[in-house]
Amino acid sequence: MRQALKKSGGTISLLFSVIILLAGWWLLALVLNSPAVPPPLGALKCFLASLRGDLSIHLGVSLYRVLVSLMLAAVLGVPLGILLGKNPDLDARISPMIYLTYPVPKVVFMPIFLILLGIGDISKIVLITLIIFYQILVTTRDAAKNLEKGYISSVRSLGGGSRDLYLHVFLPGCLPSILTSLRLGLGTAMAVLFLAETYATQEGIGFFIMDSLSRMNYEEMFAGIIAMGLMGFFLYIILDKTEKLLCGWVHL
Amino acid sequence: MQDYFLSIKSLKVDYEQKGEPVTALDAVNFSLNQGQRGVIIGPSGCGKSTLISVLAGLNSHYSGQVLIGGKPPASGGETALILQDFGLLPWKTVWDNVILGLRLRKKNTGEIKTAAETVLEKLGLGSLGKRFPAQLSGGQRQRVAIARALVLEPKLLLMDEPFSSLDALTREELQDFLLEIWEETKLTILLITHNIEEAVLLGQKILIMSPCPGQIQQEVENSLAGASHLRGEVQFLEMCSFLRSFLRGRAHDAASA
Repeated sequence: MRQALKKSGGTISLLFSVIILLAGWWLLALVLNSPAVPPPLGALKCFLASLRGDLSIHLGVSLYRVLVSLMLAAVLGVPLGILLGKNPDLDARISPMIYLTYPVPKVVFMPIFLILLGIGDISKIVLITLIIFYQILVTTRDAAKNLEKGYISSVRSLGGGSRDLYLHVFLPGCLPSILTSLRLGLGTAMAVLFLAETYATQEGIGFFIMDSLSRMNYEEMFAGIIAMGLMGFFLYIILDKTEKLLCGWVHL
Repeated sequence: MQDYFLSIKSLKVDYEQKGEPVTALDAVNFSLNQGQRGVIIGPSGCGKSTLISVLAGLNSHYSGQVLIGGKPPASGGETALILQDFGLLPWKTVWDNVILGLRLRKKNTGEIKTAAETVLEKLGLGSLGKRFPAQLSGGQRQRVAIARALVLEPKLLLMDEPFSSLDALTREELQDFLLEIWEETKLTILLITHNIEEAVLLGQKILIMSPCPGQIQQEVENSLAGASHLRGEVQFLEMCSFLRSFLRGRAHDAASA
């Protein structure tokens, strides 16, 4: 009962937020009175119409790029982060390299990736993966480093080897931090995706938005913005639910 | 010559701290009979935990001779370790924590289930299997830690300040509980504490340690061990103050030196 109330409370506040957001948009459109900011109703209508057209194809392409990038970044960043977190000596040697390259905005390498990897999906995926990878690597390493040593000695005393420590201590112990860094990384990934898709490509929401802009079809442009926003929102919800499902022990 | 179950001869442990060599333990000698309860007491930083880590097979950088049942210490063997906090994995339920050792030993599922059910039932934890450690009281958590150790049917039980973060009543309850378990299993137990009453209650042999480097300063045979009904009685308190004067005297010596 309480659970259900809490749930419906969440839905109500979500609905409330959507209404405020739409009202704000509508007011802004009214005040600005510019074709570049169409009122929400027209944009929403256009969004639904475009979904039946080519918007869904662009949406699919963008979703594919983001999902593959996030997964690749996690597959590479998590094991390496744990490895560094549990080996202080190795970490001391590798850390300077990470700190040197971490603050460099990786987006500036986009032209190079385009030349080396072509204008297809790969250059975009590599770019997003690289950026998210750093966030996951650093977060996972710090989480692994800060795990209580007692967990490690107790599993070792039970006869656990390094594979068991990985499986029973480091991975589950770091998982909440990993999922948090994925949620934060998602925002970055969407921003980089947009940038990557506005360059030398004919596919993806970024292209759809910029293409609409160049045709001065502002309602369609906003349809693209809505699509991108919703995609980010649903990916965020999925990560949130995954965290609740896998890290139940954090939310007691 | 007597055959001891646990025997330690001229144990020395060095480690490096910020490039400087530090001697954690030096010339440590003692032994325990099969089924004997030993208690190590001493100030913090006297190398008690280093000693435990050697015995648990987690630290092989030592010199001297350490034999447990005639063999050098090894992790995952016949020695079980119980820590003060952080022994149970917070992301595993009580059940998964208890069966972890058996899983790591590659026992088959049926065997694991029977063994875990038996132990949890015996320790009065049968209904808590699905809970996470954070959902238990401190006393319940240490019972689970004991269950996880017992399910492996160890020959030696090492306990590193197992009850020190518990409130006084829960601590007494668990001390009695440990004595009951010992009566039943006659396990060899080595327990570390900084609580003098706990040492007198549990230790048939009390080993007083002094720090820098950690050494056994005095061995006391304690005839009051296990007599929980004597808690607070004159002879119990006398034994406590005897130990206290030893620990104090040592501290005094160190201060004047």
